[in-house]
Amino acid sequence: MLELDACTQCGECLKHCPVQDVTGNPLVSPPEKIRMFREFIRKTDGLKAKLFGSTDVDRKLLDDFTKAVYECTTCGACGQNCPVGIFTQRLWPTLRKEMVKRGLGPIGVQANLPQVVKNSGNPYDKPAADRYRPWFPEHVAVAAKADIAYYAGCTGAYEAQPMVRGDALVLGAIGEPFTMLPPEEEVCCGFPLFITGQHDLLKDLVDRLVEGYRSRGVKTLVCSCPCCVNIMSRDWPALYGRELPFTIRHITQYVSLALREGRLKIAKELKESVIYHDPCYLSRGVGVIEEPREVLRSIPGVTVLEFERHGLNSRCCGSGGAARKVYHENAIKMGRQTIDEAVAKKADRLILSCPACYAKVNEAMQGHDRQIRITDIMELVSGLI
Amino acid sequence: MGTIIIIAVYVVYAAFWIRFFLHTLAWWRGRAEDMVAVLPKRPPLLKTWALTLRDVVLFWRLLKVNPALWFGEYLFHSTFLLVVLRHLRYFLDPVPPWVWDLQLSGLIAGYVLPFSLVYILAVRFFSEREKYSSPANVLLLALIIAISSIGVLMHAFFKPNLVDVKYFALGLLSLAPAPLPTGVLFPLHLALVLVLVALVPSHIVTAPLVMLEARRRELGLPQVMHEK
Repeated sequence: MLELDACTQCGECLKHCPVQDVTGNPLVSPPEKIRMFREFIRKTDGLKAKLFGSTDVDRKLLDDFTKAVYECTTCGACGQNCPVGIFTQRLWPTLRKEMVKRGLGPIGVQANLPQVVKNSGNPYDKPAADRYRPWFPEHVAVAAKADIAYYAGCTGAYEAQPMVRGDALVLGAIGEPFTMLPPEEEVCCGFPLFITGQHDLLKDLVDRLVEGYRSRGVKTLVCSCPCCVNIMSRDWPALYGRELPFTIRHITQYVSLALREGRLKIAKELKESVIYHDPCYLSRGVGVIEEPREVLRSIPGVTVLEFERHGLNSRCCGSGGAARKVYHENAIKMGRQTIDEAVAKKADRLILSCPACYAKVNEAMQGHDRQIRITDIMELVSGLI
Repeated sequence: MGTIIIIAVYVVYAAFWIRFFLHTLAWWRGRAEDMVAVLPKRPPLLKTWALTLRDVVLFWRLLKVNPALWFGEYLFHSTFLLVVLRHLRYFLDPVPPWVWDLQLSGLIAGYVLPFSLVYILAVRFFSEREKYSSPANVLLLALIIAISSIGVLMHAFFKPNLVDVKYFALGLLSLAPAPLPTGVLFPLHLALVLVLVALVPSHIVTAPLVMLEARRRELGLPQVMHEK
C-alpha cells in the first residue's frame, strides 16, 4: 500500500496517540507498526523472498507487531495529525485484514466473533429476543413500512440501553412514522468483524440488512452508533455492490433537522454546563461534528463546553477498535482521562453519543476518584421534551 | 579503488530503478485490493490540487503540527534541493544558464545544509515533546550531515580538480568512465552519496501522492453524511 511507503517515520503521530498516553511504549506506535509491517512484508513477500523463499520472521517482531496493531483503538488521531496525511483510521483495519489473511490475527476473544455473529446475529452472543424488549418504550409505535427506519445496533441494544431508549423516545416524539427490522433480522452491521480484520461474513450481513430495509420502503436509515454509521456510509455500498436504496443519517443529524424545522421542541430547561465528547468514528470518520452541538445548544439553559481536543481532533475515550475487549486496562485508563478532563473543565455532565463510549466510560468511572454524570445525548433530550 | 567506485555507481543506479519499479508494481497491485471504502464525491479539482501543492511545497501539514521541526525540515529540504541543482553543472554540457544562475544560492545552501540537519537532530533529541526518533531517520540525517560537511570541506579547504570531476561525471553518464579524481574527500563524498541513494526513503515519491489523496478525502468528508 502506498500509505505504508509514505510514512516518513517522523513520530508526530505519537503525540496524539491515546494508547501512547496510557502505555508510554513507543514500540506500540504508528511508525513502528508501519516499520514492522514493511519488514514483515519484505521477509515474506519481497523480491528476495520470491526468488529464494521467505526467511523466518523473528518471533518477537511478530509478537510486537501483532500487539501493536491490535492494541490500537483505531481512533485515527495519528492520521489527523500526520504531516503526510495518511488515513490511519482506515490503514489499521486494513493491516488487521492482512494479518488475519496471514494467520497473525485476530487476538483473544476477537477470534470468536465470526462464529458468535453467525450464531446469534450479534457480537455479544445475546438472544435476539432480548434485543429490543428490555428497553424499547411501550408507547412508541413502530410502523411496518416507512420512509424512516431506525437501526438500534448491537452495542446500544445490549450494552447501552438508556441510550437507545432515548433514541426511540425522541423518534416517537418527532412523530414521523418509522420502522425497524424484527429483532432476529436486525443483525450486526459488520463493524466488529471489519475492525478486527475478519471480512468473510460482511457481505452476507450487509445484504440481509439492506434487503430488509429496502423491502420496507425505507428512504432514510437512522442510527445512533458512530461505528455502525461509519461502516454503513463508507463500506456498505461497496459490499452491497451498488448504491444503497436509502440514505444513512446519524440520529443527531435527524434530530437537529427536526429541531430546526420545528417538528421537535425541547420544552424543559436545564441549567447545566455540559461537555460533549466527539466519538472518533463520527467526527473524524464521517464528519458529523456540528449537529450534536446544535442539539445541545437548542436545550434552554444549557452551556456547551469543549474538550481541549474536540471535533476532528478529538481524543479517543478508549473503547474503539475492539481493543477494549483485549486491552481492558488501557481502555479504562483512557476513559478516566476523558472523565478527568470533563471534571477539570467543571462540566456538570459528560455527554456522549456512542454506545461503545457510553458503556466503557461508565465502566471507567466505577471506582474512580473523580465522578461526573454521564448521559447520552438522546437520553438527555428525551428527558426534556 | 576507482574501478570499484565506478562499478558501485552503476550497481546502485540500477538497484535504485529496480527498487522503484518493484515498489510501483506493489503499489499498483495494492490499490486493486485496497480497502473497500466508498469515497465520497470527488471534491473540486482545482481546490484539491491547490491545497495539495501547498502541502507538498510548503510542508503545510508539518507546519501545523510542529512549527519548530518544520523550520528545520523546510530549511533542510530546500537547501538540499538547491545543492542538488548546483551539482547539475557537473553532469550537463553545456551548462544551461539557469544552472549558472543558481550557483551562488546553491553555494550558500551548501553551507546552511549541515546546520539545518544538526538543528533537526537537536529538536528530535532535546525537545521534551518529541517521543520517538526512528533509527533509520537518524542514520539518514547523519549520512547527509557527513556528505554535506565533506562538500563544505572540499569547497573551503581541500578543493578537488573540478575539471577532473566534470570529466568523471560526464564519463559516467556516457558509459565511458574517466579516471576517478585524486584525493580522499571526493571518493568518500561520492561513496556516501551512493549509500544515500541506496537508502533513500520511498516517501519522497509516495508522500505527495498520499497528500493528494488526503486532501481529496478531507474536502470530501462533509459529503459522506451530508450528501443530500
